Amino acid sequence: MVVRKRVILVIYALLVALMLITLFPLVWLLLLSLKSELEAFAYPPLLVFKPKLVNFLALLSSESFMRSFANSFIIATGTVALAMVVGVPAAYGISRGTRRFRQHVLVWALITRMAPGMIYIIPFFVLYVKVGLIDTRFGLMLIYLIFTLPLVLWTMTMFFDEVPKTLEEAAKVDGAGIFQSFFRVILPLAAPGLGATAILCFIFAWNEFLFALILARRDAIPAPVAIVNFMAFEGTEWGKVAASGIFILLPVLLFSLVIRKYLVKGLMGGAIKG
Amino acid sequence: MSTPKITIRDLAVEYVSEERRERHIAIEGLSLDILENEFLCVAGPSGCGKSTLISAIAGFLKPRAGSLLLDGQPILAPGADRGVVFQEYALLPWRTVIENVALGLKLRGMPKAERHRIAQRFLTITNLTEAAEKYPHELSGGMKQRVAVARTLANTPQVMLMDEPFAAVDAQTRMTLQEELIRIWEQSRVTVLFVTHSVEEAVFLGDRVAVLSPRPARLKEIVAVNIPRARRTWEQMNTDPEFIALRDRVLQLVRGGGNGS
Repeated sequence: MVVRKRVILVIYALLVALMLITLFPLVWLLLLSLKSELEAFAYPPLLVFKPKLVNFLALLSSESFMRSFANSFIIATGTVALAMVVGVPAAYGISRGTRRFRQHVLVWALITRMAPGMIYIIPFFVLYVKVGLIDTRFGLMLIYLIFTLPLVLWTMTMFFDEVPKTLEEAAKVDGAGIFQSFFRVILPLAAPGLGATAILCFIFAWNEFLFALILARRDAIPAPVAIVNFMAFEGTEWGKVAASGIFILLPVLLFSLVIRKYLVKGLMGGAIKG
Repeated sequence: MSTPKITIRDLAVEYVSEERRERHIAIEGLSLDILENEFLCVAGPSGCGKSTLISAIAGFLKPRAGSLLLDGQPILAPGADRGVVFQEYALLPWRTVIENVALGLKLRGMPKAERHRIAQRFLTITNLTEAAEKYPHELSGGMKQRVAVARTLANTPQVMLMDEPFAAVDAQTRMTLQEELIRIWEQSRVTVLFVTHSVEEAVFLGDRVAVLSPRPARLKEIVAVNIPRARRTWEQMNTDPEFIALRDRVLQLVRGGGNGS
């Protein structure tokens, strides 16, 4: 008993330590974003100070940053829409296809994700300049499709596998065509999967930095790249960097809270057996 | 009850198992007539291909050989003229009972008021009026299966195919459901093909009982049950010599007696 208690204690201590390590930079970022420039450079670092919203106000009044924030939102939402429209029906096809078809498609889809992004950047840069997709939001959405599509295919195939065959057969017997049974029966049953997958895609597109840095020059710059612009030749505006970091974090945090609800909720209850 | 509703001739069906995706011959050389307005039970040893027969008639599986006719027309695909009651109920969890029952009508584009009126009628027949606004997870297994029957009947199918519908409910509920099914069926007199592994159930419910051989399934014998419907309650059947004799005969056939195989 005593030994077990001690083991549990050690595990808890480790978890707390891990949490502190994970949260420390975030807390530091938050503190930094609330300090004035002078306070930010104080040494030893100030832990007690009067929080100021000056950095956030500066961001809100900065037209270029707000535009990049809007860009991020449009690009991420567009990526999710594209990935779902293309990926969800494809995943259903894979789920109901032959075993060989399924293995080939899923493995090859994964391989596109395994290759390091750097491999694609130069060819895509050249290509985008030629076809006029450079510095466009749509261009970035298309690139992000490469990375999010395998995610959609893998997760949604698993969710579609779980949809009981009888419900589909029952829909057919009820006189439903393939589209009716897909939209009215199968899709609602896979709803928890749809929600979770969409949010994972959103977070990926929202956080992506490398491609945005190279392929967006001025008009299509998303928020993560905009932060870099605060690191200018004249010096880095740390307060603004920190505030925009917190700013970008917020939507992801919100979505992560939503994800939990979707993942935990098993809509399947009562569909099959007791 | 004289003209065949469904004609099965020299039917052969292959079955591809879901996990290992292997092919099995489930049915071979099966010939059987299902008469208009009759209640035909199909009994046979477990795994003999009874459910495969339902799938083939419903149109989920394509026969490898032989013919499968509904009113003289070949069966090619699933359709609303053949309703199926599944063992697993197959109700949509996010729709209420009445919406589940009205689903087929909705898919056909019937306006809401009309389809709810029809659904209401079948809920009355199946004693479910009280449960109309409930969701499937609030119901017991027996009630869910009654909803499934109501849902199938609401589509006014020409044939109702029932695939071991009562296998998942407890013994007492099953007896009640069997008695109720007879009562419901007498009101609609739709042609029923009822597949079961329970010999008692088959004899209790059927006008005739078709006994299949072990896999690959073919027809072994048809036993006519001439016990009047009015007498078919479990209270009476448990001690009815005619019922017991028929049950024992079918049981013997299922367990391997009767012919040379």
